[in-house]
Amino acid sequence: MRQLPFEYAYRNLGRSRVRLIASLTGSALVVLLVLASAGFVRGMQLTLTQHEGIHENVIILGTGSEEALERSQIDASVETIMAASVPGLKKEAGVIYASPEINMALPVRESAESDADLPAVMRGVRPVALLVHSAVEIVEGRAPNPGEDELMVGALAHAALGVPPDRLALGRTLHFDNRDWTISGRFRAPNTVMDAEIWLPLTDLQIATKREASLSSVVLTLDTAGFADVDLIAKSRLDLEITAMREAEYYRSIAAFYRPIRIMIIVTASLIALGGLLGGLNTMYASFAARVREVGMLQALGYTRSAIVLNLSEESLFAAACGALIGATIGILMLDGLSLRFSMGAFALTLDAPVVLVGFLGGLSVGVVGAIPPAIRCLRLPIPEALKSH
Amino acid sequence: MSLIECVNLTREYRKGENIIRPLDGLDLEIEAGDFLALMGPSGSGKTTLLNLIAGIDSPTSGSLVIGGVDISSLSKRRLAAWRSENIGYVFQLYNLVPVLTAFENVELPLLLQKLSTKERRARVGEALEMVGIADRHNHYPRQLSGGQEQRVAIARAIVTDPAILVADEPTGDLDKPSAKSVMLLLQRLNADLNKTIIMVTHDPHTTEFAKHTLHLEKGRLLEQAGVAESGVGEGAGR
Ligand SMILES: Nc1ncnc2c1ncn2[C@@H]1O[C@H](COP(=O)(O)OP(=O)(O)OP(=O)(O)O)[C@@H](O)[C@H]1O
Ligand SMILES: [Mg+2]
Repeated sequence: MRQLPFEYAYRNLGRSRVRLIASLTGSALVVLLVLASAGFVRGMQLTLTQHEGIHENVIILGTGSEEALERSQIDASVETIMAASVPGLKKEAGVIYASPEINMALPVRESAESDADLPAVMRGVRPVALLVHSAVEIVEGRAPNPGEDELMVGALAHAALGVPPDRLALGRTLHFDNRDWTISGRFRAPNTVMDAEIWLPLTDLQIATKREASLSSVVLTLDTAGFADVDLIAKSRLDLEITAMREAEYYRSIAAFYRPIRIMIIVTASLIALGGLLGGLNTMYASFAARVREVGMLQALGYTRSAIVLNLSEESLFAAACGALIGATIGILMLDGLSLRFSMGAFALTLDAPVVLVGFLGGLSVGVVGAIPPAIRCLRLPIPEALKSH
Repeated sequence: MSLIECVNLTREYRKGENIIRPLDGLDLEIEAGDFLALMGPSGSGKTTLLNLIAGIDSPTSGSLVIGGVDISSLSKRRLAAWRSENIGYVFQLYNLVPVLTAFENVELPLLLQKLSTKERRARVGEALEMVGIADRHNHYPRQLSGGQEQRVAIARAIVTDPAILVADEPTGDLDKPSAKSVMLLLQRLNADLNKTIIMVTHDPHTTEFAKHTLHLEKGRLLEQAGVAESGVGEGAGR
C-alpha cells in the first residue's frame, strides 16, 4: 500500500485554526486530567503502601482499633513487655527496635491570639522511632528535646495544616496546650503518611493530652522473629487487650478505606475524558466531512481507503501528540508534588513515569479514537458520489 | 481491436421498488488516439459512463474492456492500481488539494509509483511545463485563477503518462477565454502525446476541438459509435 505523504496530514491541520486549537486543547486537557487523577491515585497509593522498611514492622495496638491508630489506647507497659517477651526483635548498639508512640489528631493554632484550629496529625515518639521508621530522615535542625516545648515537622505538614511551607520554618512556633512550641527540626519521609505529621517527644505529648499511662501503639522492627511469634504473644496476653498487625497491612486497610474515593476520581476523570473524546470526534467529523470530495479525488487517483484512513489518523494523532505534550508539560510543572490534605494528613500528587505515560497515552488515544470513525464515515460514499459532494 | 469496448453496458441503481438505469445497454467502441466529446441532456448518463471508463464505478451488467483488460472483473484494489496507471481524470471543479502547492498536487499520483525522487520531480516539472504553468509551481490553488487551476489539474492527470484522459465538463466552470485555452491544451495532448480523450461537455463550442462527438440520451447513444463525425478541431497538429 502506497502512503500519502505525512506532509499532507500535517498541513491539513492548518486548514482551520479553530479546529487545531480545539484539538490541541482537547488532548491537552485530557492529558492534564488523566495526570491529575492518576497522580492523585498514585500519590495516595504510594503514601499508604510504600513505606520503606515497612515490611519488617509490626504494630501493636488496642484490640478493636485496627482501623484507626488514633483511637487505640494501650497500657504504657506494653512497650517493655513486648521488648522483653518477643525474642528476635532488631537490636543495635543495645537499643531494641520497639517504639512506643501516641498517634493523634490534635488541633493547633498559629499563636495564642489566633482562634483558628488547624488540623495537625501528631506523633509522640522516643528517639528509637527514627530507627524503627527508617523512611524518616531529619533534613534540617534536630529532633525535639523532651521538656523544652519543641517539635519537628514533616515535609508535608504545612499542607495538612493548610499553611504556607515557610510558616513551618525552623524556629517558628505553633500553639497548643496553652503554650508555644518551637520547631527544632524538619524531616522528610517521602510517600508515607509520616511526611505530613508533626513529631514531638512522647512524654510531652502524653502530658499535653493527659494520658501519661497510655500509648496508641508500639511499633516493633523484626529481625529473626516472625510475625507469627509476635501475634502469638499478643494473643496470649489477654489482659493487655492488644492486637498485632503488620504495618504494611495496617496501611493497606486504610488504602482500602479510601478505595471508593479513588474509584470515584477515576470514574469522574474517565467521564470527562470521554466527553473530551466525543468533542474531538465531533470536530473531526466536521473537518473530514468538508473533505469528502477531495477524498473521492484521492481515491480516483488510485489511493486506497486504508492509505487515506491512515493519513487522516496521522493528522489527528499529530495534533493530539502536540496537545498531549503541552498537557504533560503543564501537568508536570504544575501538578507534580502538589500536596493535598486528607484525613490522614496530606500526600503529594505523584507524576512519576508510569503516570505520565498513562496520561500521554490517554491524550494520544483521543487522537486515534477521535479520527478513525469520522475517517471511515468520510470514506463510506462510493467514489462517484463523493466526487459529487460539495 | 479498439482501445475501449463497451458491450451492452448497463448501470442500475435500485431505489426501493424503482430501478434507475443511467446506462441502458450501451454499445460503444473508442479507438486509441481518439478525442471524443460526449453530449446529452442532464441525467442522460454521461458522467456515469465516464466513471465506468475511469474505473471508479462498476457496471451492473455488460462488458467493459479497456486495452484488453476486462475492468469490470477487477477487484477494488487492483482496479485502484489499474486506474492509477491508465487513467487521468480531469474534473469540472479541478479538485486540487488546497494545502498543497501546484507542484505537490501534480506530484500526488506519482507517489503511487516506484520512482526516485529525482525522476519524480523531473516528471512533475515536465507536466507543469506541458500545461504552461511551470512558473506557478510554488503557488497554492487559492493563488491561481480557475483556468490555471484546471491546467494544474490536467498536469496531474497526465503526469503518470496514462493512455486515457477522461474529463467531465472540464470547462464548465471557466470563462470563454480560459475555456478555449484549456480546450487547446487538451487538443494538443491528444495530437502530440496521442492521449485518448473522452470529454463530457454541455458547450457545443468545445466539441469543435474534439475529433468526434456522440450524443447520449436516456443511457443510450443516439448514433452508432464512430458514425457521427462532427469535425476535427483546427490547429490540432503542431
Ligand atoms: N448514486 C446514484 N444513485 C441513484 N441514481 C443515480 C446515482 N448517480 C446517478 N444517478 C442517476 O443516474 C442518472 C444519470 O446521471 P449522470 O450523473 O450520469 O448524468 P449526466 O448525464 O452526467 O448529467 P449532468 O449533465 O447533469 O451531469 C441521473 O438520473 C441520476 O439521477
Ligand atoms: Mg454529469
